[in-house]
Amino acid sequence: MMHFMLPVRWFLIFSFIFLLISCSRLPVIKPVDQAVLPDIEQRCHQPFVDVPYRFIHAIEITLPGGGTGAVVGVTVIDPASENIHSVIMTIEGFVLFDARYEREVHVDWAVPPFDAKHFAERLMEDVRLILVAPHGSLSIAGILEDGSTICRYDGSQGRIYDLIVRQDNSWEIGLYSDSYETIRRVNASSVKDRIPKLIKLTAYDYWDYSLLLSLITAEPVSAGVIQLQPGESPDDE
Amino acid sequence: MEFMTTASRTKKGVLLIGVLFSCAVMLGWADNWEDIQRESAKIKSVSAHFSQEKHMQILTRPLVSKGLFYFQVPDSVRWEYISPIRSILLMRKGDIRRYTVGSKGLVEDKGGSLEYMQIVLQEISRWSTGQFTANEHFSATLKGGRGAKIILTPRETGLSSIISRIVITLSPDRPGVIKSVKIIESEGNYTLFEFTDVQINGKISESLFREVI
Repeated sequence: MMHFMLPVRWFLIFSFIFLLISCSRLPVIKPVDQAVLPDIEQRCHQPFVDVPYRFIHAIEITLPGGGTGAVVGVTVIDPASENIHSVIMTIEGFVLFDARYEREVHVDWAVPPFDAKHFAERLMEDVRLILVAPHGSLSIAGILEDGSTICRYDGSQGRIYDLIVRQDNSWEIGLYSDSYETIRRVNASSVKDRIPKLIKLTAYDYWDYSLLLSLITAEPVSAGVIQLQPGESPDDE
Repeated sequence: MEFMTTASRTKKGVLLIGVLFSCAVMLGWADNWEDIQRESAKIKSVSAHFSQEKHMQILTRPLVSKGLFYFQVPDSVRWEYISPIRSILLMRKGDIRRYTVGSKGLVEDKGGSLEYMQIVLQEISRWSTGQFTANEHFSATLKGGRGAKIILTPRETGLSSIISRIVITLSPDRPGVIKSVKIIESEGNYTLFEFTDVQINGKISESLFREVI
């Protein structure tokens, strides 16, 4: 019994410590003059593309326990319609997941367990968090102690969405629950022409994981690209 | 943990194709299966550069990867991507490992499983001896002549859900050398591998098959 109780006790202690860590205090925002608010709001939209774009990333996935995997992600986004087409494939080119978001998620192809219930919805939520400008109402905007710009939005389900843009144009998104627990954190760095070379997304909810996206290519595309047309037929025989 | 399972499952297909490449490069120019078996028996090692073009509907232009390939009889393979992502697959004496460059450098991919090693080795032995027609995973059709093609069609429903067919094109001028391998997943979605600088029966350091550097 003791052998059983001891691990349980340690589990509870570690869980409590983890809870303390994950229950982040929200960044303290220093108010600014009303006259500069429009500039701050504009800066808070800087991380998001305003024309259709195609991104190709090498994605390093880290799972609980430290296991890692590497895949290639292709994402096309139209910021006007907010339509998204996302494909995940192996380095060798095998497509694991192919889905579109057009007001709702449509899965065109998924290898088990990428076809698991809710997987596509959650993946699209992560993609939208990284690539789509926030929808919620702006509750406060200002600067942080280090001079970074911050915009705080009220999201759905009582969530709080913080967008921080630093002076070197790197940016960070913090998504919090209504009890201020961190749900997601996104850090973008090495930003050039508004496109970050590195993006790290860390998920803190029921299934912890992190995604490190290293940019391979980013290029503007026509809006019609998301409306798929039949592809080229392979000339093989 | 779900992803671990995914990696295990998908690795089956990936490794199978890796093996396929290794053996496909060994194929000789031929008009019939007997010629292929005869040419295959002459191959002891292969080294080559490869380019990988991924064609998909979502891509305006193919996504191009480049790398190096090494094979040594009976079962040593190094399949190495140089760009855009560095990744190395090593198979040697029944052991298979995969490494990918990430934030912590070149690390072993723990998402894979060794349970398919047996399948891989079986494939190596079959393909290296030109035993296409006895393959349990693919049925093979040979279209002989200059630039002969071998068309492989999955026998299993599970595999055919991932791969529609594979087309291996042999070099028209150089017996024993393959020109390209095309893996067709679905309409508009295929991967084309082209081999260049192919060296047959050259000396390859044994360490290449057990060390990632």
